[in-house]
Amino acid sequence: MHWLLDKMPKEYIIETHSVTKIYKMGKQEFRALNGVSLNIKKGDFLAIMGPSGSGKSTFMNLLGCLDRPTSGEILLDGERTSEMRDNELAEVRGKKIGFIFQTFNLVPTMNALRNVALPMVFGGIPRADREKKAHDLLKKVGIENWATHLPSELSGGQQQRVAIARALANDPLIILADEPTGNLDRKTGEQVMKLLSSITKEGKTILLVTHDHSLKKYTNRVINMIDGRISGRA
Amino acid sequence: MIRDIFFMSLDALRSHKIRTFLTLVGVIIGIGSVIIVTTAGTSVKSFIEEQWNIFNPTGMVIGIGTATDPPQISFNKVAFTDHDIAEMKKLPHVKDVAPVGLLPLKAVKLKEGFLKWQSKPGGTMYATTSALLDILGLKIDQGRIFQEGKKEVVISKSISQIFGKDKPLQVGDTIYIQRIDGKTIKTTVVGIFKESESTSLLSQVTALSIAGPVNPYYSSYFGSNIGGILKRITGYGILSATADDKEHVTDAKNEILAYLNSSKSDAIKYKDKNSDFVVVTQQYILSKVDQIMSVMSMLITAIAMISLVVGGIGIANIMFATVTERTREIGTMMAIGAKRGDILRLFLFQSSMIGLMGGIFGCIIGASGGAFIIEVLNRYLREIGTFSSGRITLIYSSEWFIIAVIFGIAIGIVAGVLPARKAAKMDPVIALRYE
Repeated sequence: MHWLLDKMPKEYIIETHSVTKIYKMGKQEFRALNGVSLNIKKGDFLAIMGPSGSGKSTFMNLLGCLDRPTSGEILLDGERTSEMRDNELAEVRGKKIGFIFQTFNLVPTMNALRNVALPMVFGGIPRADREKKAHDLLKKVGIENWATHLPSELSGGQQQRVAIARALANDPLIILADEPTGNLDRKTGEQVMKLLSSITKEGKTILLVTHDHSLKKYTNRVINMIDGRISGRA
Repeated sequence: MIRDIFFMSLDALRSHKIRTFLTLVGVIIGIGSVIIVTTAGTSVKSFIEEQWNIFNPTGMVIGIGTATDPPQISFNKVAFTDHDIAEMKKLPHVKDVAPVGLLPLKAVKLKEGFLKWQSKPGGTMYATTSALLDILGLKIDQGRIFQEGKKEVVISKSISQIFGKDKPLQVGDTIYIQRIDGKTIKTTVVGIFKESESTSLLSQVTALSIAGPVNPYYSSYFGSNIGGILKRITGYGILSATADDKEHVTDAKNEILAYLNSSKSDAIKYKDKNSDFVVVTQQYILSKVDQIMSVMSMLITAIAMISLVVGGIGIANIMFATVTERTREIGTMMAIGAKRGDILRLFLFQSSMIGLMGGIFGCIIGASGGAFIIEVLNRYLREIGTFSSGRITLIYSSEWFIIAVIFGIAIGIVAGVLPARKAAKMDPVIALRYE
């Protein structure tokens, strides 16, 4: 069986074991995650669904290395991120994770191209390289003609495309998308989902957090969460 | 990467131009006023030094009064004798000594015909020797210097015109000088002083209006009983002296005081016991001017510092507002790989850029403000004196510009530390959720 164990870490890019997260509010404790164990394979387009307060966002924050669990273990690409320092976490976020937010979160003072290039700035990639790559990514998401426009000059759908391009900038292991269609109309939302779906076909792994059941059809795996636990798999 | 973060902080400033400008104002006022003060101070100081140097920087005045700081000379006390003058001339670092016999005049008269007089109230005549002219740096334009024992005077250009500008007194003219005691002395004008080239306020103060020999004009005597014979000795209240060179002014002063207070001097016998001998050097006056100027500039600098502190608080305030406003952006940057240090630098660059710009604009405002003040002073100088052709030259002290810019950056950094730390310490999860 040893040959199998050797292969395992390569198959699962994320493994979590009995992850808990407890928030302290004064003297009260709030158990946001209550022992979550989950493995994610490369190429998965995984949806985590659940009502608000179910812990899905907390779980995503832990997977995205924005936060550390109270207990339990998280392995990202074989690295134990649950015990890393702030700067190490920042580096992991920059290199291995791409974020897509409901509110797009583009830097308002930068044009589309510079927004896409921003993760590469923090990654220390030379200017010429990152501009070329940012340009290619804008082309990939279909808005290369808007490269020099500020976010305020773009529609919601266009802004989310810029955000997707930005999430791809450092060739991440996994893309975490938190309600990416939440601020978009249905038609634009579908276009964005199709774009994400086409990205997974190129071998990217995407974790989608949503409570919109209509998005299930784009994914290949759905996990339901409730009260800080995984309640079932569809 | 630092370069990129630097340019990102510029973006933030550029996208809020009015806010950036308003934040700058406080720093600009502070730094501008420091530059104005130092520019005006340096220029005026060099102007004053220049003016004082026209008449001998090695000069000093010897009198009787109280040796306080500043010393006081009473003009009505008389103690020095010709013997003292001769003895003091021999002191190692003393170049020359001259009596300054002050003769207040009742009038200067001109005989215009038989029994027809023209009379003008006169000022002060100086009964002295030719040495005083050297000490004061005065030159004779027309004619020659007066001779001791003769009824001759040298007059200033303005005195030559007291009977009318159209008929000025000439060398060789006869005038009548009436002393305060009523005695009138028929006098020949033998010379007219040259107006000093950079005629200034200060040289005008000490310019001699009428100068003549001690004998026969001056009569202030002591009765001295030597061996039963009553002898009259001429006494002076004020002497003027020069030192060998600038470096030995204090030595000369000390030698003079030592001599005067020794038993060898006549003055110690004639002076009343409560008075001191006082020597006021040109350098002392200069140092006093310096002191007054530095007190003034310290005062204004203190005010400028207050406005810089206020400016700094303004920067801190706006930086806190910016950090709060950009909370979500900070969260996003952290999510896409920005380290805490990157965020810290981003905001520190921003606040130090405000400081730097405040410093640069402050220097520009200060430089033009300084030039404006010197221009106003020069206009004023021109207006108050027909005699004043002196001009203050605008002098910028470059070191203050460098200090100002560095100080501006420093204020920006200091003011930015707390807001930048606040930004860098944010929890990305909470920052991303911020509405």
